[in-house]
Amino acid sequence: MSGFAIGMWGMGAMFVLLALRIPVAFAMFAVGFGGIAALNGFPAAMSYLATESFTLGSSAELVVVPLFILMGNVATETGMSRRLYDAAYAIIGSVRGGLASATVIGCGGFAALSGSSVASALTMGKVSLKEMERFDYDPKLATGAVAAGGTLGILIPPSTGFVIYAILTQQSIGRLFLAGVLPGLLLLLMFVGTVTLLCWINPKMGPAGPRTTLPEKARAMLGALPIVGVIFLTIGGIYSGVFSPVEASAVGAGLIIAIGLVTRVLTLRAFWAAAKSSVTTTATVMLILIAAHMINPFLALSHIPQTLGEFLIGLSLHPLAILGLILLCYLVLGCFLEGFAMLVLTMPIFFPIITQLGLDPIWFGVLVVLTLEMGLISPPVGVNVFIVKSVAPTVELGTIFRGVIPFWFAMLATLIILVAFPQISLILPNTMIN
Amino acid sequence: MIALLDKVAAKFTNLAAMLGTLGLVAEVVIILIDVVGRYFGSPLLGAQDITQMSMLVLVFGGMALCDRIGGHIAVDVFERSFPDWLNKLGDIVSAALGATIFAGISYSMYFSARMSDMLNQSTNIINLPFYWFKMYVVVVCVIAAFGMILRAIALTMGAQAPKEHLI
Repeated sequence: MSGFAIGMWGMGAMFVLLALRIPVAFAMFAVGFGGIAALNGFPAAMSYLATESFTLGSSAELVVVPLFILMGNVATETGMSRRLYDAAYAIIGSVRGGLASATVIGCGGFAALSGSSVASALTMGKVSLKEMERFDYDPKLATGAVAAGGTLGILIPPSTGFVIYAILTQQSIGRLFLAGVLPGLLLLLMFVGTVTLLCWINPKMGPAGPRTTLPEKARAMLGALPIVGVIFLTIGGIYSGVFSPVEASAVGAGLIIAIGLVTRVLTLRAFWAAAKSSVTTTATVMLILIAAHMINPFLALSHIPQTLGEFLIGLSLHPLAILGLILLCYLVLGCFLEGFAMLVLTMPIFFPIITQLGLDPIWFGVLVVLTLEMGLISPPVGVNVFIVKSVAPTVELGTIFRGVIPFWFAMLATLIILVAFPQISLILPNTMIN
Repeated sequence: MIALLDKVAAKFTNLAAMLGTLGLVAEVVIILIDVVGRYFGSPLLGAQDITQMSMLVLVFGGMALCDRIGGHIAVDVFERSFPDWLNKLGDIVSAALGATIFAGISYSMYFSARMSDMLNQSTNIINLPFYWFKMYVVVVCVIAAFGMILRAIALTMGAQAPKEHLI
């Protein structure tokens, strides 16, 4: 049997295992290990298993993953994330649809603290849904805003999605973080625009909230000041070159912990729980990454990416048309696969094609992460929708899915804009890091 | 018997997770000391070495607990359309496959550790020996594999599987 045939059998076996609900990491390990053993012998597969486990497990670059997760977990434990929402609420809560817009902005702020979309949706959902219910917001708008706003977590840096992409494709984490800033802000504005448009079409969807006085506004802003300061210090530190991403993640986590301890809102017990939770989440992520690095050599040995790339290039399509096909694949796969798993499963196949076409890998990273975000709210496996459902158990799942539809189209519009204007993604990394 | 062994596995799992959590705390502290030290012109010698090895302690320390709480990502699109027996089979295969993988990592890492010991392999700056860290991975992977074997047996005997969740 040829290497290509073994590769195709391996991919088929992996999809069968995934369909049987075998954890993604285990399925990838089994296929990667089996494939290498079949093509290069059992000792080679054993050697890969030890080497990849040790090398990735002790990777200095990947230290950002647990530290940013810790930062987000501690911010949630201490209620600092609520202050972001309160500040946004005080400023725009009194306009029509203002609470939903405040939720989206709060999600954007929390996204700058945590690399996780799920954490953003969960945290902001807990904080904002009750408020919106109190002011008779349409459940579709309320839950849709939380589910969609939460997705900002993996586009606005620090983003776990970018870190994983960087490791899989050997790109600079700092450049990817920079590349995510403007698209993240653009998407945030698109979401706020969507809320405004929906409330303009049907004012009953988001009635105006109570007016806040100037001192109330000032107090809310002051409350959010420490957390905004941490965001500026960590992200600004990366962009100005003062910190590496790893150092920024440690400084951010350290500052959030210090603020929590000094203000006595963080107990040692709560800190330990947040740290332990960060460790298990990191273990989940890292096991998949190690498994992905077992699949990569198998795919390379079987020549699948090379063959697929030659096929696509042989079609003589414009590179942008091939890019469109790849993004379409991601949009379809996003309906069925969890975003992170999709990234590690597909990148070894698609990335070589992108480099062969001469497309910018940083730009491609932004586009891919945005499509992953869309997958987070696409039925039937829209993770963020399920997260919102867990926070709002009385709202029907169908209602939440209907609520995210306008936001999904806002994301699609953003994706088209980012494809049409690569400069939006590339201007910051190209001017600030060379 | 299974219940007793499960209690033992739970204790070791918690111990491994505690070591992992200490690894995380160590990372924060070491990097902060290094950053502050660098500001004053004296960065911490070997900060990167300690951070890298702490990362290893963290990552593998959390593996057993991650599995125990159903923390792995799985695709459950077809779950509802499959008969119960097939879903149950999937759970058992997951646990058995996981146990095999962690036993495999442990086995291969053991030989890698012996090789590192023989060649005196260590970190670049302060020469932390790889041998001890690789042996740590061997032990915590055995703990993870042990927990999964117990779960596979318990599932075969009719117990319910922890629900995997999506991150």
